[in-house]
Amino acid sequence: MWTLSDEALLAGLGSGDPEATAAFMNRYQRRVFGMTLSILRDRQAAEEAAQEAFVRAWRHASTYDPRKGTVAAWLVMIARNVSIDMLPSHRPYPVDPEVLLELQDPGPSQEPGPSQDRDSQLAPVSGPMREALMRLPAEQRRALVLAVFYGYTAREVSEQDETPVGTVKTRIRAALMRLRSELGVSDER
Amino acid sequence: MNGEMGCDQVRDLAADLAIGIADGQERDAALRHAATCPSCRRLVAELSSVVDDLLLLAPSHEPPPGFAARTLARISPPAARRRATRAGAEQLPARRRWLPRLAVATSIIAALAVGAGAVYQGTATDRRLAASYRAVLAQGHGSFFTAAPVHGPTGTAGTVFGYQGNPSWLWADVYLPNASAQRYSVQLITRDGRRLPAGTAVLGGTHDTWWADQIPINLTNLAQLRFIAADGQTTMVAHLNARSPWGSG
Repeated sequence: MWTLSDEALLAGLGSGDPEATAAFMNRYQRRVFGMTLSILRDRQAAEEAAQEAFVRAWRHASTYDPRKGTVAAWLVMIARNVSIDMLPSHRPYPVDPEVLLELQDPGPSQEPGPSQDRDSQLAPVSGPMREALMRLPAEQRRALVLAVFYGYTAREVSEQDETPVGTVKTRIRAALMRLRSELGVSDER
Repeated sequence: MNGEMGCDQVRDLAADLAIGIADGQERDAALRHAATCPSCRRLVAELSSVVDDLLLLAPSHEPPPGFAARTLARISPPAARRRATRAGAEQLPARRRWLPRLAVATSIIAALAVGAGAVYQGTATDRRLAASYRAVLAQGHGSFFTAAPVHGPTGTAGTVFGYQGNPSWLWADVYLPNASAQRYSVQLITRDGRRLPAGTAVLGGTHDTWWADQIPINLTNLAQLRFIAADGQTTMVAHLNARSPWGSG
């Protein structure tokens, strides 16, 4: 059973170590596929994106900088960017952002099985963040989720919601600043 | 946007920068400023950290059966990648890019099928690839992989990969560029002649398509995988011949 840190597994992935690669995949495949499926809403496309995310992680493992964030965040950001690149431009909202958040409510099915490696970096983050997000005004939360998860610019949200672009920008900025404040985020990692 | 930005402008843009949705020129100007301004740099870093944590809220989902094996087939050692590049694999049209991946996967599975001793006699690259697959099997408590061509109306239409484990699964990649996409009933034929339904698959069209599912029988008991079109005729079939864990039978 692998108990190595995420950073050690990522280093193993980058160096081509087969056991570390398998353990890395096992640790993150549900999280990565969940990210790509949430954005693309199509299992075949989501698998293609998730595969590509792991390939990019393997190719660029040496560029990971622990001072800039966790391995989990780095990998999920790659999965998000790959997925957004696969979305057609000028696309309609793929899913109501509120639905995405509802899905996050962790239940028994989210727990890894006995043969699965637990993603230790994820659990402590999601509770307070989710609660803080749900305390945001609905319009701020919506704009923020569309930007963060689906890569919508303020202008795109503005056009689809028929809301002034300045208002959307303000909502996104205010939402992010408030989360930063509530969660006491600092760049001291 | 040209010229230099001040702190106020960068602070207005900090959220967009952290999320990655800032316009290219604005982004460049803001990052130039942040590089020399510790206060703005800290703000962008902190908001980026919030975005990182937000993304971790995305729900987890179990990927399709065989996802790890298919992904590992794409993660080939650099030597193998260089060989593929020299052969022009990366110049193939996008929809055909799966072919080299399948070739890698097939070669790995073939290497495993001829036995561990033969694998060890291969190149170091082959041994690393084989080790990757052994690690996958160990992680999933599986015992072997197998593969077979999927025969369509006009020749080979793809490949089916099988995994013997708990559960066992099949994954078929099918490319039918000259046939419109249609729904097929999937059927498993056992060695003693039983016909087991295995759901449906939408295959065909201009993109490579696939079907994958867990199977309720031991892979060594599976004789055929059939894809049956709506007219009831068998239109594609793969003959599985995995009689023993490390042999093709």
